[in-house]
Amino acid sequence: WKKEEFRDCNQTPFCKRARSRKPGSCNLRATDVSISDGDLIAKLVPKEENPEQLHNNKPLVLTLSVYQDGVMRVKIDEDDQNPKKKRFQVPDVIEEDFLNTKLWLTRVKEEQIDGDSSFSSVVYLSDGYEGVLRHDPFEIFARESKNGKRVLSINSNGLFDFEQLREKKEGDDWEERFRSHTDTRPYGPQSISFDVSFYGADFVYGIPQHATSLALKPTRGPNVEEYSEPYRLFNLDVFEYLHESPFGLYGSIPFMISHGKARGSSGFFWLNAAEMQIDVLGSDWNSNDSMWPLNNHRVDTLWMSEAGVVDTFFFIGPGPKDVVRQYTSVTGRPSMPQLFATAYHQCRWNYRDEEDVYNVDSKFDEHDIPYDVLWLDIEHTDGKKYFTWDRVLFPNPEEMQNKLAAKGRHMVTIVDPHIKRDESYHIHKEALEKGYYVKDATGKDYDGWCWPGASSYTDLLNPEIRSWWSDKFSLDSYVGSTKYLYIWNDMNEPSVFNGPEVTMPRDALHHGGVEHRELHNLYGYYFHMATSNGLLKRGDGKDRPFVLARAFFAGSQRYGAIWTGDNTAEWEQLRVSVPMVLSLSISGIVFSGADVGGFFGNPETELLVRWYQLGAYYPFFRGHAHHDTKRREPWLFGEKNTQLMREAIHVRYMYLPYFYTLFREANSTGTPVARPLWMEFPGDENTFSNDEAFMVGNGLLVQGVYTERAKHVSVYLPGEESWYDLRSASAYKGGHTHKYEVSEDTIPSFQRAGTIIPRKDRLRRSSTQMENDPYTLVIALNSSQAAEGELYIDDGKSFEFKHGAFVHRRFTFSSGKLISSNAAAPSTAESNLFSSECTVERIILLGLTPGAKTALIEPGNKKVEIELGPIFIEGNGGSVLTIRKPNVRIADDWSIQIL
Amino acid sequence: EVDYGNILSKNSIDENYYKGLSSGAIKCKDGSKKFTKAQLNDDFCDCPDGSDEPGTSACPNGKFYCKNAGHVPQFIYSSRVNDGICDCCDGSDEYDGKVKCPNTCWEVGKVARDKLKKKIATFQEGITVRRKEIEEAKLAIAKEEAEISKLKNEEKVLKARVEQLREKKEAIEKAEEDERLKKEKEEKARKEADDAKQEPSKAEEKTDAQEEAVKTGIHDKIGLLEDSPSVKDAVEGHDNAADEEQHNEAEQVPKESSQHPEIKEEPAPNNNKADVSSGNEEKDATENTESLSNEELGRVVGSRWLGKKSEKETESVGAGTDSDHDEALSDNHEEEHPGYDSDVDDHQDDDEHKYDDDDSEDQVDDFAGEDHDSSSHKSDSDDDSDFADTTTTTSPSWTEKIQQTVKRILRSVNLFRTPVNISDADSIRKEYDEASAKLTKIESKLSSLKQKLKQDFGRDKEFYSFHGQCFESKENKYTYKICPFKQASQVEGYSTTRLGNWDKFEDSYRTMLFTSGDHCWNGPDRSLKVKLRCGLKNEVTDIDEPSRCEYLAFLATPALCLEEKLEELQNKLETMNREQPQGHDEL
Repeated sequence: WKKEEFRDCNQTPFCKRARSRKPGSCNLRATDVSISDGDLIAKLVPKEENPEQLHNNKPLVLTLSVYQDGVMRVKIDEDDQNPKKKRFQVPDVIEEDFLNTKLWLTRVKEEQIDGDSSFSSVVYLSDGYEGVLRHDPFEIFARESKNGKRVLSINSNGLFDFEQLREKKEGDDWEERFRSHTDTRPYGPQSISFDVSFYGADFVYGIPQHATSLALKPTRGPNVEEYSEPYRLFNLDVFEYLHESPFGLYGSIPFMISHGKARGSSGFFWLNAAEMQIDVLGSDWNSNDSMWPLNNHRVDTLWMSEAGVVDTFFFIGPGPKDVVRQYTSVTGRPSMPQLFATAYHQCRWNYRDEEDVYNVDSKFDEHDIPYDVLWLDIEHTDGKKYFTWDRVLFPNPEEMQNKLAAKGRHMVTIVDPHIKRDESYHIHKEALEKGYYVKDATGKDYDGWCWPGASSYTDLLNPEIRSWWSDKFSLDSYVGSTKYLYIWNDMNEPSVFNGPEVTMPRDALHHGGVEHRELHNLYGYYFHMATSNGLLKRGDGKDRPFVLARAFFAGSQRYGAIWTGDNTAEWEQLRVSVPMVLSLSISGIVFSGADVGGFFGNPETELLVRWYQLGAYYPFFRGHAHHDTKRREPWLFGEKNTQLMREAIHVRYMYLPYFYTLFREANSTGTPVARPLWMEFPGDENTFSNDEAFMVGNGLLVQGVYTERAKHVSVYLPGEESWYDLRSASAYKGGHTHKYEVSEDTIPSFQRAGTIIPRKDRLRRSSTQMENDPYTLVIALNSSQAAEGELYIDDGKSFEFKHGAFVHRRFTFSSGKLISSNAAAPSTAESNLFSSECTVERIILLGLTPGAKTALIEPGNKKVEIELGPIFIEGNGGSVLTIRKPNVRIADDWSIQIL
Repeated sequence: EVDYGNILSKNSIDENYYKGLSSGAIKCKDGSKKFTKAQLNDDFCDCPDGSDEPGTSACPNGKFYCKNAGHVPQFIYSSRVNDGICDCCDGSDEYDGKVKCPNTCWEVGKVARDKLKKKIATFQEGITVRRKEIEEAKLAIAKEEAEISKLKNEEKVLKARVEQLREKKEAIEKAEEDERLKKEKEEKARKEADDAKQEPSKAEEKTDAQEEAVKTGIHDKIGLLEDSPSVKDAVEGHDNAADEEQHNEAEQVPKESSQHPEIKEEPAPNNNKADVSSGNEEKDATENTESLSNEELGRVVGSRWLGKKSEKETESVGAGTDSDHDEALSDNHEEEHPGYDSDVDDHQDDDEHKYDDDDSEDQVDDFAGEDHDSSSHKSDSDDDSDFADTTTTTSPSWTEKIQQTVKRILRSVNLFRTPVNISDADSIRKEYDEASAKLTKIESKLSSLKQKLKQDFGRDKEFYSFHGQCFESKENKYTYKICPFKQASQVEGYSTTRLGNWDKFEDSYRTMLFTSGDHCWNGPDRSLKVKLRCGLKNEVTDIDEPSRCEYLAFLATPALCLEEKLEELQNKLETMNREQPQGHDEL
């Protein structure tokens, strides 16, 4: 971490300016309000001419639109576009489908608010909600229709400011200098800032990526000591990042979600890819010059961006899951991963050669530890030229991939965006000839420095170039690749070793004259997109891509997984991995994880084991290590620790059916796989700032062990119902903090009473061999002796599920009877397109009144035994009532009555 | 239902255990539960240890038994049963009909037997070599021990003489000193009378000298600066920080500065400290990225991830990480390493003299000054050659000769008085110097011999011949030199990196350990493990760096061709032969 290499707010003029503005300094009012093309249109004009701000005296155009499911969009841009330069509007992020859900506004209601002298315009937003444009003072908000309570607003503190583009005058110095770099800033100041208020909120969350607590701590206000810097959103390759800092890391999602006991959740998204800085304002932040009566249950925030336009989305909730559904309806639902990608990945910088690969692969088998994917980092290439192989180290890459594939395993190679400027490199030659590189401020190909040395970067804003890039992944073009090979995008911030703040200069030029400053946070997104589309093309549209990327933007969830970058082998980094993954999860990126073990440094054995135990529950589960570290594959730390890591990994494999079902849920609704406790228990205040524990789906609660030689861990179990310890099978009361005794064997993990979770308990080499294995259903009964759960199955790789080729079951238990029924709407699932031969070998009943000896299966009128069995075969866990060998087919309708 | 009786009946250990089922339920092997015959292999896990499911995949902890007729029987993990992959050569692990596994036991068995036979042959031959070496080692050691006692005698005699000579010499010197002092006194008295005031300022002289030193230092530094492209660029960049054109030019620098390939090795030039003073409070010169050229900046920033720093700065950086020097990469890694089995070693008979040559080369390097006879067995060659210059006359032993000389001299200068007879004094001094030089030589010879014999040469002294030898292996651009009882190094062109100093044998003489080698940036001190395998010659078969700066090599040597192991292999072959199906002749 080199603080001085990165700009802070005071070194960033737009941020410094915006932060120094006083509440109420916005002097705009809305005029000329009308309905046009189903939108509410208005002009924003200054109340009185401000001679000092002549350039900002032109009217701005505001467009307010309303979409289904409680989404309001507000755009503000300049009216007369500067002929030389159009302000950048982010393309390729909003879902086409979303635009089709626009509600055609036809009526505007006029209303006087709070004794204003002028009217406000009120439109329908959704049942029970209205959108309001307050003319003077200018303010936009969503409110509840029945009582007028605000939900979410812009400019309630009058901090709105919009620097309009202007002609450069004699004597204007627009350049910005930072360290040895100069930003020419040919278009001058063009920043935008405004305040956003969340009502009925106790906390705000989201805006990844920062290594901070999940509930965002205030960055300004009388009692703020922790942070003086705003949360920064600027994609950067930060060497050895700290575990507690508002500093922006590899990716940016300008999406914030609020939550509070009083109302629930609301969300706000600003579609803008320029550098952004966001202040979370502590209560009483403006107590000296307050415009509004202070409200305890309200969180004010200040959003500042260097360029672009205002294109904002209001999500009214009211529940946390509603907000993520609304948000992902705009930016896209998370893609459905292949089954193998949800299993365990083994990576290291670098597995040196084919022999090393074979050796690691066979060691997993030798120690009976499952894994699905083996990864190759940059050293596998010929001189860091991606799509090539070091043929000394990897003489037969196809054979290598095929050999692993014969055991059902896959491989991943790295492809980064920097392209070596080497005349003999075909990719460079083509890109050079076709003029596909990003240009510097003078119009020449931008020439930066990265792993290969002098490198250039393709301009992926241009769809033609993206398409060209995608073609590079075809089996013909990528020599040495097979269909078992998937891709890893690293360094796509983009990382430029000799650039300002280790990235590309802001005045570099993209397709259509767009400056890098305007789309910086989008660069990695496009690279991820082009790669993912490349794999899609390679598989003729039939094979689901798997691409892991480091940089991301809103919408990246459609293109693959994200990991939390170059973390460090420290306990504190294990701890912060949970809020980091959760923050991504609630911002659409449901497929994420941290490098297990910590990338930099050598983890102590205990830390490594704890990391495996926690990482097994990350949505994306990969072990990785820096090349200066000692080898740390699970079998290198003595038999006892091998056993512990094997069990941790096995736990993940057991729960794969559950994870896969959750990924499908995310794919259809945006609800993340890993959830903050408050997402499942929105009314339980104790969960609001808890980010040491998290939910996997609605049924499992997991808490990491974040300290050395821990004997006890404090675990808060939310809600009113009980929780079943997954080792001892004992019940723990909900709504309490428990002093939970921990051993080295496991981290605290519980199943929530009232849920049914599908598992596959048999151990295999990889997920591929589990396909036909029988299921175990774990039923945790609630206080009314009832429970329910779901299971989703498809072929695990293709897109046939989109046409109904899947099985989706619902299990319900009540009155002593378990019923399996079809959970899919009859129109969506075609039972003949996909089925499963798998059976249920075991049903575990937690919380059932003891005494039951047999159960009756219908149809078939078959009796099966109920006996005591282990909750987890490998552990020394508790005994639980087990229905032995019901052997019903998982895809069928059936019922089992406890007798 | 599948009949597993076949599988079980062949397992003689388990047969007795499962027999109990005929008379009711039996306990799981771990004693945790009971199960009945109906529960045996019913594809449901009753025993956590898998003992009720030896033929299915139901228990994660189970083991499946393959009979593998034609080859050797084998237990495989239950996770392999009916997983669609053929694991047992007889195909018995895949019985659910989803895949067809051909029975390959005969082919596999044949290959395995052939391999084993070869291995046995290597061992048989290797054992002979080993015995011979042990014999030789014992003789050599005996000889060296004799040499030691002989040297000890000589040392004793010589010590006494040297002592005598020293006394005389001191007496002479005392006399001389007295004489000198007397003269000086006289001289002083005369001088004092002469001059009154002429005192040179010593302090001033000193200052001048210091200044001179500083000047040359600065001069050197300037020379460095002028040669360094980085600083040139840095200075320019600094002067023209506001000049955008300049900046853009700098962006293009990489091509130009590629003329200075030396930067590549040292991405963080240290010599631009001068620029740090320009208002920047950074302490670490290498991280003063402010004033670097674009290419250098790229290299410096990139080097953080790469860990490429010059060794000097690293010491402080990496010092903290030395502690975790555990054996993470334990024996597991190499145990299964394909190709490291001793049977690979018998494929080349070439360069018989390789090690002889290396050996002598090495000796020249390391015992510089000693005349080494490489053709003879090394046990006494060192010692003899060492004394070549003094043992020219044969008859009276050189100790006697010395004694005589000493006596003669002592006699001649027995009663001396001032003024000292100069020629006598000189000859005593000369004799003293010669005698004490000789003594030093004997002492050092003695100590090196003692040192040598103190080494751990193995249970049967089978590693005696390793002493003074080096084994070399070329891997890409590196040459690795492994010198047991001394050190191991990696040579690239003219630069040598120490991989470690001799530490000890480990793992019952199956591993040689070299530790505390050159420090690694961002890592531990380098270390090397050498795994030993039976082979007919001493030969490094592979060398590797599985973790950064932790090296692993494999050395084939007759020293590891042990009789017990041979017996084991022969038994194994016998078992394999017994398992061969009848009527299946060599194809």
